[in-house]
Amino acid sequence: MKHLIFTGILTGLSLSSVAQREIQYVEYDLDNGIHVILHEEHATPIAVVSVLYHVGSKNEKPDRTGFAHFFEHLLFEGTENIERAEYSELVEKNGGTLNANTSHDRTFYYELLPSNQLELGIWLESERMLHAKVDNTGIETQRSVVKEEKRQRIDNQPYASFIGEMFKRMFKEHPYNWQPIGSMEHLDAAQEEDYVGFYRTYYVPSNATISIAGDIDIEQTKKWIDKYFKTIPKGEAINLFRDIETLEAEAFNKKYGVAKADFDPKTKEAKTAAAKAVFKKYSNTPVDIKRTQKATEQLSGITKDVIYDNIQLPALFMAYRFPEQTNADMYALNMMNDVLSGGASSRINKSLVERKEMATFAFSFAYGLEDAGMGIFAAIAAKDVPLDDIQKEFDSEIVKIQNELVSQEEFEKIRNQYENQFITSNSSVAGIAENLADNHVYNGGANQINTELKKYLAVTREDIQRVAKKYLTQDARIILHYLPKEEEK
Amino acid sequence: MKTLILTFAFVIPSVLFGQLDRSVRPTAGPAPAINIKDSEVFKTANGITVILSENHKLPKVSFNLVVGAAPQMEGSMTGLSEIAGSLIQSGTTTKSKDELDAEIDYIGARLSADNNSVYLSCLTKHMDKGLAIMSDITMNANFPQSEVDRIIKQNESGLMQTKSDAGSMARNAQAVSIFKNHPFGEVMTESSLANINRDAIVAYYKGAYTPDGSYMTIVGDINKEQATAMVEKYFGSWTGGKPETTKYPVSALAKGNNVVFVKKVGAVQSVISISHPMMVEPSNPDYIKLQVLNGVLGGGAFSNRLMTNLREDKAYTYGCRSSMSINEYGSSFSAGGNFRNDVSDSAITEILYELTRISSELVEDEELAITKSSMAGGFARSLEDPSTIARFALNIIKNKLPNDYYQTYLQKLDAVTKQDVLDVAKKYLTPANCNIIVVGNEEILPRLKQFDTDGNITKLDAFGQEVKEILPADISKDELISKYISAVTGTTSAKALAKKMKGVKSLEEVMELTMDQVPFPLKSTRVWITPNSEGQKMEGQGMVFQKSYFDGTAGGSSSMQGGKTELSEEEIAAKQKSVGLWPEMNYATSGMMYELLGIEKKDGKDCYVLKINDGKTETYDYFDKATFYKVSSMSIEKNGDEVNESSISYSEFKEQDGFIFPNTMNISMGPANFAVKVSARTLNAKVDLGTYK
Repeated sequence: MKHLIFTGILTGLSLSSVAQREIQYVEYDLDNGIHVILHEEHATPIAVVSVLYHVGSKNEKPDRTGFAHFFEHLLFEGTENIERAEYSELVEKNGGTLNANTSHDRTFYYELLPSNQLELGIWLESERMLHAKVDNTGIETQRSVVKEEKRQRIDNQPYASFIGEMFKRMFKEHPYNWQPIGSMEHLDAAQEEDYVGFYRTYYVPSNATISIAGDIDIEQTKKWIDKYFKTIPKGEAINLFRDIETLEAEAFNKKYGVAKADFDPKTKEAKTAAAKAVFKKYSNTPVDIKRTQKATEQLSGITKDVIYDNIQLPALFMAYRFPEQTNADMYALNMMNDVLSGGASSRINKSLVERKEMATFAFSFAYGLEDAGMGIFAAIAAKDVPLDDIQKEFDSEIVKIQNELVSQEEFEKIRNQYENQFITSNSSVAGIAENLADNHVYNGGANQINTELKKYLAVTREDIQRVAKKYLTQDARIILHYLPKEEEK
Repeated sequence: MKTLILTFAFVIPSVLFGQLDRSVRPTAGPAPAINIKDSEVFKTANGITVILSENHKLPKVSFNLVVGAAPQMEGSMTGLSEIAGSLIQSGTTTKSKDELDAEIDYIGARLSADNNSVYLSCLTKHMDKGLAIMSDITMNANFPQSEVDRIIKQNESGLMQTKSDAGSMARNAQAVSIFKNHPFGEVMTESSLANINRDAIVAYYKGAYTPDGSYMTIVGDINKEQATAMVEKYFGSWTGGKPETTKYPVSALAKGNNVVFVKKVGAVQSVISISHPMMVEPSNPDYIKLQVLNGVLGGGAFSNRLMTNLREDKAYTYGCRSSMSINEYGSSFSAGGNFRNDVSDSAITEILYELTRISSELVEDEELAITKSSMAGGFARSLEDPSTIARFALNIIKNKLPNDYYQTYLQKLDAVTKQDVLDVAKKYLTPANCNIIVVGNEEILPRLKQFDTDGNITKLDAFGQEVKEILPADISKDELISKYISAVTGTTSAKALAKKMKGVKSLEEVMELTMDQVPFPLKSTRVWITPNSEGQKMEGQGMVFQKSYFDGTAGGSSSMQGGKTELSEEEIAAKQKSVGLWPEMNYATSGMMYELLGIEKKDGKDCYVLKINDGKTETYDYFDKATFYKVSSMSIEKNGDEVNESSISYSEFKEQDGFIFPNTMNISMGPANFAVKVSARTLNAKVDLGTYK
């Protein structure tokens, strides 16, 4: 039970991976900027179609938080050619399953289908990219659904607010300040133009990576991608296309200086020379995607706060500033974290949970994001154990890993664990598609899937000690005490 | 070269912008073949059934050992098997927990164990090292006292956490309310945890961890020859007795809907679960039809009825689902989710509406088709995981399914009709007879009453124990006794009572007993002779199992197994405080300690609670506030450290010879449960106490 609330975080942590077998794939760009990655394997007659949009909560405006995630919900509501509620139904009645998720950095959609339905999956995702249709019924419904999601996942879950509390304190400037679930007041305040603006900025070909894996024929798959995705207009022309479908004639004319009637109502093809020229101009105007910068702010000093929650057992959370996920130090930091918290024989479990019985549950983890990272130490106190004692114990483990090299045996153990982990991940086609896309967008290239293990195995014991000293800064960290609400005076 | 150019030329036109009619939906290619490989099955000399599913895609292998013991009642030590399970990896006769953990982590393997299974997953090259540890904990776990203490302490904290976790609270309430007198309905509490000790843990492990009747599922990069050799090498010397396989029947719920409320302070959502037991086992041919039913209602596809109605239409929730847990030891149905406080009652209305609708009308063709396709797709997808094939083989053996059950699964699924779905819904769903579990904020409580058939909401705590809310009584203890006596004797004055009782010299009652664990009916006879003698015997299959007597000054009992024992002085003193056929008449003079605690809800009725103590046993008697009949009684007897709890509920009150008697009783004593029916009662019969000695 007690492990439940943390699974979400821990899966996010699972290292995208390198199997012992090389993962073969082909990748290329379409003219409109979509990046395509294809992996073929025939063990099971299924295929996964996924699209990763390089947009997450960090791209939101500070007064419109929760938008990226809210969009994920809206984009199941239908398109110009798919009725409301029909999107999932089409997948499910053809034997597939679908879902999506949103983080600080990305929004990821996928359909897992019987392999003979691959074309359907490609069409569905192309519809979502080109002209999702969002009406007020959909917005109102999903607004309530998202509020329920927040109540269920955060407000009604003991301790679950700690991630948000940490990010809020660590990132005062950077948009990591807020969480993907965002603010319900902001969602309430949002106007239609906010939605339209978000869609037109981030749901465009040059912001998307398509990753398809499974029982596919690469050549046939390319043909379908050409058919449905290559035909999506480039640059700002995608928004011109959307306007042909949604704007009234007068407004359209005013905006573009050509008549809406100059475009074929069905195919949207420009029929006059003027319309062709406008279309060409917009094709050549890139969409201005607002990118964020790497976070530069550092923690200064110790921030210590108390949070009262609906809990019975007090808990301690500590956070340190880690670098962004592509920083070379992250390999050593992840391995350091495994020495501290990977498996039953790890240092934190042995000392805090088993030998000293100070905590019912204790762990640490390394949070690597595109613009910054965070290292977290957490413990739910055993009955009647003061949180300060737990902190002392954490601190003595930190001092130890900073002052002494990890033993050769521990080091071998961690390396063996990585080997097993890398063979185990990439055992499903859905996992492979996701890892390929993630690696392409965030880790410097899809081939990281095959080279990552080598990078971990290159880390030395000295590296681990070095990063422990560099990043576990005892004089610059956040310490949160979670206490039962009854103790609030 | 030429073909290439041609293809190029052929492709180009179709990709020109504007030529594609996007409203045309792609059609499916030819259906791919689904290929289910057979598993190897063989049995070892010491009784392990081995199921092997080879898969050489990755250099990994897993071993899953499941023992054959059935879940048993744990009574005052509820949680014993769970605690024992979490200690199996805590040390063996030759290795400490630290050593075991270090060795497993060193090879990057995963090893886990619980009350009836041990699982190992590792790279094939580390298989020997991993199996050595797996077999060591399976055969030689030794439960060091320090680890027992640590795990018990950790569970104490865990139980505290349960009090803030609405999901766990709902699961506990559901288990307790569905599975009465069944191992699935037992929930560990702070007091049951306190009763668990190392001896009991070792005894559990010795009984449950035995090769006889166990299954070993092996999946991955290993061949039959290696698998056979590994099982022989690491488990060939494993010995043990027969596992306990007693099964407990699942009983039906009382008629009507019962609202069960668990308070969670500060809750912003209610966890709602509408649930009831299902009388079905996995081997039942209705199984696939039930899966389809659940799929349409609230299982499988996102477009199911509950999700469509409560999320997509009404936006009451992030998710509303139904599930069926169909298990060889006890099955149940539940539907629900998390709902914000102000729509909690509306959510219950809608879920009940959907349950009723699907049990009374045929489903639509389209939703049936979606559900079946979605299930077929799920079946195909499940085959990506190599352990699926082995799980299929295990199910076939354990549930005695035909060998081609999974090969023909898709045909069977395809054959399910609308009528089949309606038939199984009518047969197994009981929307007018279920538990409506709500864990949430007390502010919603007034709006829940409407859903309870008799208007009496059951309140449970985080662990499924009834919350005792005692209100002050409006009468005194002696007034209560006098009203009770007046009600059962039909007299209105002391004089009339004395006169009527004078005519009562003896009583003989013959009762039929049925007991879950005993396959044949038992007969029990109870006699009473004025002023204070009594006898009782229990017989069946032509034998007397047990008899006992008390003649006012001495007594004893004898049983087939235990021989004769005499009542101790302490026991005699206690018995002397219960004088008469209705001992309450004499409490004022017999030396019985008695105290009226107040008014408490019991099974939905307001009852006066009278606490009595005869120096040996503490008893709580419940008197219905409306009728003054004694409807139940709960006793706690302490013998040193041992605590025995028993409870009796009385029903079917009828008049006989001018007195009111209960004619059926439910008695529970620890794990044993009896249903008792009075078959004959004779007032002033000729009784010979000698036959009870």
